[in-house]
Amino acid sequence: MRSQYVWPVILFFPVLLFQTTILPLIAIRGIIPDLIIILLVYYSIMLGQMTGTILGFIYGFFFDVITGSLMGTSILSLTITGFVAGYFSNENKRDIYFKNYIFVLIVALCAIINSLLNSFFVSVDLNTNMMSLLLNLGILPALYTSLISTIVIVFYPKRNFD
Amino acid sequence: MFRLFSDIWKKFKEYIVLIILVVISLIILASNKKPSAKKFSSLFFGTFSNFSSVISDALDITKYKIANTTLQKENAELMLEVNRLRQYGIENAELKDLIGLKDSVHYPLFPATVIAKSLLKPQGTFTLNVGKDNGVKPGMPVINEFGLIGIVYASSDNFSIVRTLKNIDLSLTVKDERSRADGIMKWNGSNLVIINVPKTYDVEPGDRIITSELSSIVAMPIPIGIVTGLTKVETGIFNEVTIAPFVNFVRADHVFVIKVIENKEKNNLQLNFFNRK
Repeated sequence: MRSQYVWPVILFFPVLLFQTTILPLIAIRGIIPDLIIILLVYYSIMLGQMTGTILGFIYGFFFDVITGSLMGTSILSLTITGFVAGYFSNENKRDIYFKNYIFVLIVALCAIINSLLNSFFVSVDLNTNMMSLLLNLGILPALYTSLISTIVIVFYPKRNFD
Repeated sequence: MFRLFSDIWKKFKEYIVLIILVVISLIILASNKKPSAKKFSSLFFGTFSNFSSVISDALDITKYKIANTTLQKENAELMLEVNRLRQYGIENAELKDLIGLKDSVHYPLFPATVIAKSLLKPQGTFTLNVGKDNGVKPGMPVINEFGLIGIVYASSDNFSIVRTLKNIDLSLTVKDERSRADGIMKWNGSNLVIINVPKTYDVEPGDRIITSELSSIVAMPIPIGIVTGLTKVETGIFNEVTIAPFVNFVRADHVFVIKVIENKEKNNLQLNFFNRK
């Protein structure tokens, strides 16, 4: 039972390793998909809103200390993202989410929220064109992330045997 | 009373947890500048970077690594040399009669490999496979054959984190190579911009931008990019100059740390914001 809470934390490290070493190779105009968001959304839907929120906090903490980002920004943005993703946690609808493209839309929504929160805390600059900021920091990375998240739908087991 | 709290917890536990965690995040955000936070971070990234370097090495398909490194070092040295010569050309034209300028500057380059990249739009950081044991310290500039990449932000024994130019927390004093106009350059989340440039300054699209000797962080001429445009031309008294960097941050793999930190005497004379606690 407890392993279901330990695995998401353990899995974070290989995913971050992949994110920082291999994913830059598929960057498009400097934009890379955010696998951490996909992992967080997946586990928030699987394990519930509270676990999603706490998991977001833990992911953000490790992300900030390992990548050298401004401490606290990812913690805050991923905590709120985990909370939002947790809204979609519903035992009856879980399978439906993972088997069709609703999951992609949830990932897109969460990625936009995460990017905007993250950039709000580090780059709030009223002189900058807000539309261009929204597009560059929020929508484009979110689209790429949600595109990659279709992998979850493809590999999610089609039948449950339990 | 206990029952009341228990009921509130049952009804609103998700919101209570969220509020507590958000408050903790904000406290962490506020205590960012403390040296202990930097030390804590270097402990974590030092450990994690051991794994990153294994993957990075496996990905490195170039079998002629040593030859490559030598050639790239030569390229980077040539880039600095060419830039220095350009500087001399401009200075010579301006100061025809002045002789005896210092020309024996040597920049000690130390080769390094980028083993991990965090390409978050507002906060670009690289992890390098060199650290304190190699003499790399916070504040040292990092370049490749095209120009400036960023500044070393923190070092563990064997690894370092570099804040790239595409990091909101890095601001540099730069200048227009042609007109010698100085300004503060920063990353605004989408573009590299020189902010608050008076409209009277002579800055044109196509001008090369280099680091300024006025900078308390990088006081040597290193190429940064080319002016692509001016914004806010119609309104206000200042322009904002947009720059396209020479360096492709996604492709930068082999870099050089310039083992120079501004000399203490100069630092004591002026306010060095990087070293300011």
